[in-house]
Amino acid sequence: MAAEKTKGILVVGGGISGITTAVEAAEVGYEVTLIEKNPYLGGRVAQLNKYFPKLCPPNCGLEINYRRIKSNPRVKIYTSAEVEKVSGAEGDFDVTVKLNPRYVNENCTACRACVDVCPIERPNDFNFGMDKTKAIYLPHDFAFPMRYVIDDKVCKKAECAKCVDACKYNAIDLNMKTQSLSLKAGSIVWATGWKPYDAKKIDNLGFGKYQNVITNMMMERLASQNGPTKGNIIRPSDGKEVSRVAFVQCAGSRDENHLPYCSYICCLASMKQATYVREQYPQAQIFIFYIDVRSPGTRYEKFYKKIQQDENIKFIKGKVAKIEEDPATKDIIVTAEDTQTLQKIHEKVDLVVLAAGMAPSTQESKIPSSVSYDTDGFITSNTGVAGMSAAGCAVKPIDVYSSAQTAAAAALKSIQSLVRR
Amino acid sequence: MAEAKVINPDLDFVKEIINSGGESLKKCFQCSTCTVVCNVTPEDRPFPRKEMIYAQWGLKDKLLNNPDIWLCHNCDDCTKYCPRGAKPGDVLAVMRKKSIEENAVPGFMGKIVTEPKMTLAALAIPFILFLAVLGLTGHLGIPDGDIVYSKFFPIRYIEVIFISAVILAGISYLSSLSRFWNNISKGSSQPYSKGFFPALIETLVEFLKHSRFGKCEANAGRKNGHLLVFYAFAGLAITTIWITIYYYLPEPYKKHSPISLADPMKWLANISALALLAGTLLIVFNRLKNKGYEYRNSSFDWTFAGMILLLGVTGALTEIIRLMGVSSIAYPMYFVHLLFVFYVIAYFPYSKLAHMGYRTLAIAYSKMANRDIAV
Repeated sequence: MAAEKTKGILVVGGGISGITTAVEAAEVGYEVTLIEKNPYLGGRVAQLNKYFPKLCPPNCGLEINYRRIKSNPRVKIYTSAEVEKVSGAEGDFDVTVKLNPRYVNENCTACRACVDVCPIERPNDFNFGMDKTKAIYLPHDFAFPMRYVIDDKVCKKAECAKCVDACKYNAIDLNMKTQSLSLKAGSIVWATGWKPYDAKKIDNLGFGKYQNVITNMMMERLASQNGPTKGNIIRPSDGKEVSRVAFVQCAGSRDENHLPYCSYICCLASMKQATYVREQYPQAQIFIFYIDVRSPGTRYEKFYKKIQQDENIKFIKGKVAKIEEDPATKDIIVTAEDTQTLQKIHEKVDLVVLAAGMAPSTQESKIPSSVSYDTDGFITSNTGVAGMSAAGCAVKPIDVYSSAQTAAAAALKSIQSLVRR
Repeated sequence: MAEAKVINPDLDFVKEIINSGGESLKKCFQCSTCTVVCNVTPEDRPFPRKEMIYAQWGLKDKLLNNPDIWLCHNCDDCTKYCPRGAKPGDVLAVMRKKSIEENAVPGFMGKIVTEPKMTLAALAIPFILFLAVLGLTGHLGIPDGDIVYSKFFPIRYIEVIFISAVILAGISYLSSLSRFWNNISKGSSQPYSKGFFPALIETLVEFLKHSRFGKCEANAGRKNGHLLVFYAFAGLAITTIWITIYYYLPEPYKKHSPISLADPMKWLANISALALLAGTLLIVFNRLKNKGYEYRNSSFDWTFAGMILLLGVTGALTEIIRLMGVSSIAYPMYFVHLLFVFYVIAYFPYSKLAHMGYRTLAIAYSKMANRDIAV
C-alpha cells in the first residue's frame, strides 16, 4: 500500500485553514504534523465574537475541530513553533522546526495560582493591547492547548521565580530552551493566514492618534464575552457607552497606497458589527460609509438586505478620507462626500471602526521555501513547488467558509502528492 | 412615467483629455477620497469627484459650464491620497487647458497656443513681423556707439506693435471671458448671495495674499513660486506703464532710454525681474522634486513655465550685456527677448496666463452662488 512509503503531511499554520487541512487529511488516514507560531491554535477565528451571516460564535466550530484533533492519534501538534528550513522535494521534504520555549509543561491544569503571584504585566496582544496580562498568562479563555505560557520578553525568570513556588503541579520550568526539531514530510500545506493591515499607516484616518478610532478586529474583541471589556462595547478613551458609531469601509483596502485589493470580508464584518452595537444599545445610530458594498453570493446579499431594513443603520456612499477629534470630548468627526446627494457631510460620533483590510502574513516575513507570491504578497494558489500547496488567507483574502473549502482542497492535493508516485 | 435621461457622451473629448496628459482619468472609481482631502473645495457639490465622472463620460458641456475646475489650485492633495492613481489634480489641470481652448476667441488661436507642438509656429509670427518691420525701416544692422536699444528698434515701432497686440488680445480675452461667464452662470437658478463687484473685490484681496493657495498641503511648495511670479508680473506691468509715462512727459521731465539704474522705476523693474526668475525657478524645481506621490505636469504647463523662464533669462541678459557694452550680442539678445515679450503679451488669452481671468471669475462666481470656502 502506498501509505507505507509516505512520510506524512506537514501543515504550517494552526488557524481555521490549517486545522481543517490537518483534520481532513488525518481522518482519511494520513499522518499530519501541525505547526503553529502562537502558543494556541485557532488563529484569527479565535479572536472573533461572531461569524457572519449566521451570527453564531466561532468557538463552537473551533471546539468541534479541537475534539477531532484530540480523538485522532494521527495529528501531532506543535505550538510556539516556526518552520526554519525546508529542503528536499515532493515526497521527501526535510524540515527544520524551531520550538520556542513555553516554560510551562503538560502538568499545567490552568489553575491560575501562578498568575496571582506574578508581579509583571504585559500588553495583551490577543486583545490588541486593549488590556494587560501577567507575564505568565493563558492566551485566552478557550485556548487550545489549555495551558499557561510565559512571555520571556518581560519575565525575569530565576530572579523572580514566584510562579514556580506557587505552582503545585511542578508545571513551570524556567530553564526551558529553544529546541530544534527535524522532521520528514511528503507534502506541505502553507496555511500561514493573515494579519490586520497596520491602520497607523493610513495617516488621514487618525488610528493610533485618536483613542476612539479602533479597527474592526479590535471591535471583535470589545464585543467578545472573553474580551477586555467582557463584551461591553464602550469608548476606549473614557469607558462611556456609545450612541453614535461610524464604520469606515476600505480603510486601507482597494487603495494602491496601502492594500490594492479588496479584502473581501470587511463589508459583511462591519454589518455584523453594526448588529453588535444595535443589540447592546437599542437607540444607537450607526453610519456605514462605503465605496460600494460588496456582499457576494445570495446569503451575504440577504444579510445586507436585512441590515438595510434597520432604520438606525444608515449606509452612506462615499469614502471617509478625513477623521478629526474634538479634543475636549474625544468625540470623533468623520468627513465624507455623500455621492448621492453631492454634499460633504461631517458626522460627529462616539466611536469609529475602521474596516482595516487583511494583509498576508507572508507580506513581510516570507516563508523559508521557494514558493511563489503574487504582487500583493499572497502565496500563489499552486505555490510553484511540487508537493506544496497553500490554503486559506495565505492565498487570498477570504471568509471562514471559503477558507474551510480551500483547506479541504489542500488536504486532497497533499494526499495526491503522497500517493501518486 | 419618468422621462428617460439621455446622456450623449462625447468620446472624442474623452480622448482629447487623455492625450493632453489626463491618461489616468479612467482609473477613477468614484470613492470621493479626493473631495474630502481637498482643502479648497466647497461643501455643496464639491469637486473633483464629479468632474472625474463627467470627464469619463465625455460630458463636455458639464465640464465647460463648470466653474469648479477653476477653483482647483492643483494642490495635489487629491492625487496624493487617490487610492487608484487616477490623479485628479493632473486631470483637472488638463480640463482647465481645454476650457481655455474651448472658450478662446478666435478659436484657431486657442488651438495654436494651447498645443505645445505649435510653440515654434507661435514664436515664428513675431519673428517674421519684427524682421519685416526692421527690414522695411532699415534698422536691421547693429547700431554704432553706446548701446541704446531704441536706436535698433525705435520705440514708436514697439508701441505700434505692442499696443495693437494688447488691444487685440484684450478684445479677444474679454470675449473669451464673457463666453465663459455666460457658460458658468446660465445654469444658475438660485438667487445670488452677493453682487458681482463685492465678490470680485473679495477675490482680488485673496489673490494679493494668496490665502487660498496657502491651504494646499501635498504640493505646498507651489505657493511661494506662484506668489513671486504673481508680484513680478504686477511689478513689470507697473514698470511698463511707468516708462511709457516717462517717454510722454513734456521736456524737461521726459526721460530717455536707457533709464538710469538709480531711477525708482528701474529699481522696481529689476526687483520684479529677479522675482520673476526666482519664482519661475522655484516652480520648475518644485515640479521636479520628488514629493512622495506620482503626478504629471502636462506639456501645456511645461511650455508656459519654459516661456516665462526664457522671458526672464533673456530680459536679464539684455540688461546685463548692455551694461557690459557688448553690442554684437546685446542687440540680438534684445531682439530675442522681444519675441518672448510678444508671446506673453499677445497670446495671453490662450496661454496658461489666461488662467488669471478664468480663475478670478470662477472664484467670484462661487462667492456669489454661496459656494465659497473660508480662506
